[in-house]
Amino acid sequence: MDIATYLNTMRDPAGLPFYPIIFQFLLVLTFALHIVMVNLVVGSTFVAIWEIWKKNKYGLRLSKALGRVLTVSLSIAIVLGVAPLLFVQVIYDPFWYTATTMSAFWALMFLVVITLAFYAAYGFYLGNKKADLTSVKTGWAWVSAGFLMCTALIIHMLSMEQLVPEHWKDWIVSPSGIVSYAGGEFHAIELGRLLHFIIPSFAVTGVFLMLYAAYFHGREDYDEEYLDYVGQKGAWLAFWASALAIGAGFWWLGLVPAEFHFARNPFFLAGAILGFITTAFIGASISKPRQRALPAAGLMFLTIFTMSCAREALRMKHMSLSGYSIYNYPVNPDWPSTILFFATFVMGLFVLYFPAIAAYQAGKVKAGEVATIDPAIGKKAVTAMIAWFVIVAGLGIVVSLKNGVLF
Amino acid sequence: MYPFWEVPFFTSGLVIALIATFHILPCHLATGAFWFNVYVERKAYKQNRPELLEFIKKFSLLILIFCFVIGSLSGVGIWYAATVASPRGISGLIHNYVWGWATEWVFFIIEIAAIYVYYYTIGKIDPKSHLMLGWLYAWAAWISMVIITGILAFMLSAGKWVETGGFFDGFFNETYWPQLFTRTAFMFGIAGVYAAIVASTIKNKKVKDEIIRTAGLWGVVGMLAGVVFAAWYLYKLPPHAKELWLDESLPYLSHLINIAALAYAIVFVWFVICCIVKPKLAGPVSGVIILLVLFMGIGAGEGFREGIRRPYIIDQYMYGNQIVARDIPAKHIKAEIPKFDKEGFLTHLFFKPDKIDPENSRDLLLAGNVIVHHQCGNCHALDRFGKLRPLPELLENLSPESPEDIEGLLESLGDYPYMPPFAGNDLDRKAASEYLFSIVRR
Repeated sequence: MDIATYLNTMRDPAGLPFYPIIFQFLLVLTFALHIVMVNLVVGSTFVAIWEIWKKNKYGLRLSKALGRVLTVSLSIAIVLGVAPLLFVQVIYDPFWYTATTMSAFWALMFLVVITLAFYAAYGFYLGNKKADLTSVKTGWAWVSAGFLMCTALIIHMLSMEQLVPEHWKDWIVSPSGIVSYAGGEFHAIELGRLLHFIIPSFAVTGVFLMLYAAYFHGREDYDEEYLDYVGQKGAWLAFWASALAIGAGFWWLGLVPAEFHFARNPFFLAGAILGFITTAFIGASISKPRQRALPAAGLMFLTIFTMSCAREALRMKHMSLSGYSIYNYPVNPDWPSTILFFATFVMGLFVLYFPAIAAYQAGKVKAGEVATIDPAIGKKAVTAMIAWFVIVAGLGIVVSLKNGVLF
Repeated sequence: MYPFWEVPFFTSGLVIALIATFHILPCHLATGAFWFNVYVERKAYKQNRPELLEFIKKFSLLILIFCFVIGSLSGVGIWYAATVASPRGISGLIHNYVWGWATEWVFFIIEIAAIYVYYYTIGKIDPKSHLMLGWLYAWAAWISMVIITGILAFMLSAGKWVETGGFFDGFFNETYWPQLFTRTAFMFGIAGVYAAIVASTIKNKKVKDEIIRTAGLWGVVGMLAGVVFAAWYLYKLPPHAKELWLDESLPYLSHLINIAALAYAIVFVWFVICCIVKPKLAGPVSGVIILLVLFMGIGAGEGFREGIRRPYIIDQYMYGNQIVARDIPAKHIKAEIPKFDKEGFLTHLFFKPDKIDPENSRDLLLAGNVIVHHQCGNCHALDRFGKLRPLPELLENLSPESPEDIEGLLESLGDYPYMPPFAGNDLDRKAASEYLFSIVRR
């Protein structure tokens, strides 16, 4: 059996419940959202450490604020990460399942290590929550940063192993015919690609700091000097990290097999051009970071989304070498469940407006004051949830009665 | 078949079981706790009792740190563990229920947004809106249970899906509603335990006793309702599952359900005595002991659920060893056993020795090793001191005198109601027998 036969016969016998391109789009979109949050986690951890080390009073205040950002963004990153993990298993199942079972130990270690990183982040946040600026400690932040780097390495390895199916058999079947079931394989590290993930973490965090300065501008208990410090720090960080990320991107490009001609790929080209534009724009914003924060964030996300598309295009190139294409995956369309998801997705966006506006307005009033939210917003959000349940439960009762399984 | 992952002594199946059992504590707390939180917060505003808000803040922080670290990660952990232990099993679920999981994900996002904003805006936004955030979280979290129960119930009873392949036909199956109601009642019990533990750390004695008593009442009502719904659940089990349990085909199933019932009774008594009658007994120490009892009870319950599903990992569709058991014409799925019997199991494997000479005893053992790992290793430890149904010990009890004796056993494997048939041709069976005989004699 050759690798192409293996890959194509290992596709799930049930086929896909909808067209592969839809799953692919959702995979790229949710990956981009996930990676932005992951970047913020990594970047804010290191920035918090750096600012404490410098012992500047504004830096110490910023570090304390980043402690909270770290815990919240890590939670969001994990939840957002569920979606791309799901969609990759749908269309790239033979690659995902083979790589994870060969490296099962590491796949599970990933969970242990991320849990430790998470608790260390909480240790940093809660440990410094009540501390005054002179006694802010970095210990837990270092621990968290160390574990975060380990998770980055593991997940990078799991992604990379999927791209080289031609090596799989050699890894777990010895020349004498003994098959390994240990699940301890750890292969295919590519430093250029790994750095192209880590360096943008600082760019994303820089843009976040610009947004932070813009958001709290005008709040009485935030002095302007502090916000100027944060905004300029952010713009400076975002500029240099973006420039370095471009360098890492070209290093990665140099590691891609030449036969792919990837430098001519439209997604790569668009991503590279956007990268240059974003870097230049942020460079021009260093003197006025607050005013340019929103367009900088928009450009940054667009660049990340386009680079996520390029990453997907690269994956398809790698996989085509082994005779695999998601576009000929058998499809058994299931319209009812597809409608269920997209309708819920739209409802979710509507519902999320409520916590978003509540958080936004609560942050706009100074400490000790209470923000008032339009009560209709919350009521509509909760009503939408109840309506969702009533409709689905109603459907469930009808289906159960029709199939004679209720009583 | 995907590469096989073997966990010495422990087996990969037990890795999933351990993570899944643990996950139930934070996930049921996540789904149940906010109904209690909203109840207490509403009371605080209605009766103008700001002292009750101390509990709200503490309880919310516990939910954040426990449910959204351990809970969300152990949830992903089950997924990862299932991926590495039974990749075709989880793939089968995902390819049928990807939109169900994606829908659940939308509610996860709402949950996480709602809880963080709820926690960080205590005292910072108007009470009505804050309470609404609590309701939002409570509904989102419970709806995530409404969704995942459909997928879990599908594994136990696939319903009309085997005929139609329809998403909702499999989702709303025989055991869906009783499972949903049982889990819903049970989540109030788990939320009650945690609420009482958190309340026991409050300084204001009056508030402390009041909240512990209320938590105890929630727990008692939840657990009483749980008994009724659990009885309905057991009544609705598919016939083959009931047979395995009630005909004593697998005696350990009765033991497991007895352990689960005992744990349930202990928690119930704890609610009555330590929460309602004498709230001062509901401290962190007794609370942690009760959590351990709960853990044991949940483990037994999950073991029971896994046991009555045998020989399948997905009812009627996929065996525990990840081989497709039957045709599903609506999905163009073909049973795999006839194919493997005719063409050979080994010929369909990619990760195997390149050349196998049937006349060479070493080659035969190597081939048998691969076949046995794939066909037996999901449910059996292959080493003598393994914790999960160790094959050397089980086979030794049959006193085989030669590989041929084991070959006979493999031929009749499908006659056991809880075992999948052996999949493969004569050569596969011979190789597997040689290998199994070697591990008995080892």
